[in-house]
Amino acid sequence: MAAASLIRSAFSGLLRKSTTIKTPVACRLFTVALQQKYHTVKTIANLYNTSDLQNGVSRSRQYATGPVRKVTPQDIADRVIKKPQFVRNYSHGPPLTIDIIKSRVLLVLQLFDKVNPEKLSLESHFIQDLGLDSLDHVEVIMAMEDEFGFEIPDGDAERLLKPKDIVQYICDKEDIFE
Amino acid sequence: MAQPHRKAVLNLYKTLLYMGRDWPQGYDLFRKRLHKVFSKNSEESDPNKVLTMIKHGDFVVKEIEALYKLKKYRTIKRRYYDDN
Repeated sequence: MAAASLIRSAFSGLLRKSTTIKTPVACRLFTVALQQKYHTVKTIANLYNTSDLQNGVSRSRQYATGPVRKVTPQDIADRVIKKPQFVRNYSHGPPLTIDIIKSRVLLVLQLFDKVNPEKLSLESHFIQDLGLDSLDHVEVIMAMEDEFGFEIPDGDAERLLKPKDIVQYICDKEDIFE
Repeated sequence: MAQPHRKAVLNLYKTLLYMGRDWPQGYDLFRKRLHKVFSKNSEESDPNKVLTMIKHGDFVVKEIEALYKLKKYRTIKRRYYDDN
């Protein structure tokens, strides 16, 4: 493209039927050549600058920010070999153990108004020992559901007749073993 | 055990207790009344009569639900209109 226009302009200059190159023709030729080559020169200059920067010693890394610290083998060993510490997630509530469950079950039963706290133990039968009727038993189960935050189906609930059974049931539910 | 409706009765009791959580006069009053009503009829042994009572209980559950909805509606209405 550039060469074609150069030739065309030169040709049009020569068509003026003179063998000597006249000043306006020469000027026009020069201007066109300069216009065509401007971008090439610019690109070459750019390339030169970039390569100079790349070969320069003081060239800095563009893709990392902040202080760069070398990772020592000790760091890697610490990270890999050390077992992760037990992390408590606060949204999950305190970790349950069998003792905590026992004390929470007994506390709920002590706060229940129809249960005599002195007679209460892990082995006492709700209906025979504590004198509750089946309706109170339903209330006890509901209190346990509230305390531990899950629902106990009716079929399971009628088998939970002692505080010990409730503790065992909750341990099974929460996957807690001795 | 010759108590064919035992499970349904206990389930009804549980449902009613849940419904009574937000009782306007307090949960304790509701609980005591409910216990009294249920134990009053605890000697009933005719399955058909028990079934009728369970149906009545379901009706009461619906009534309580409607009561709560009405209460909510009135509260919201009061927020929008001052006069009544």
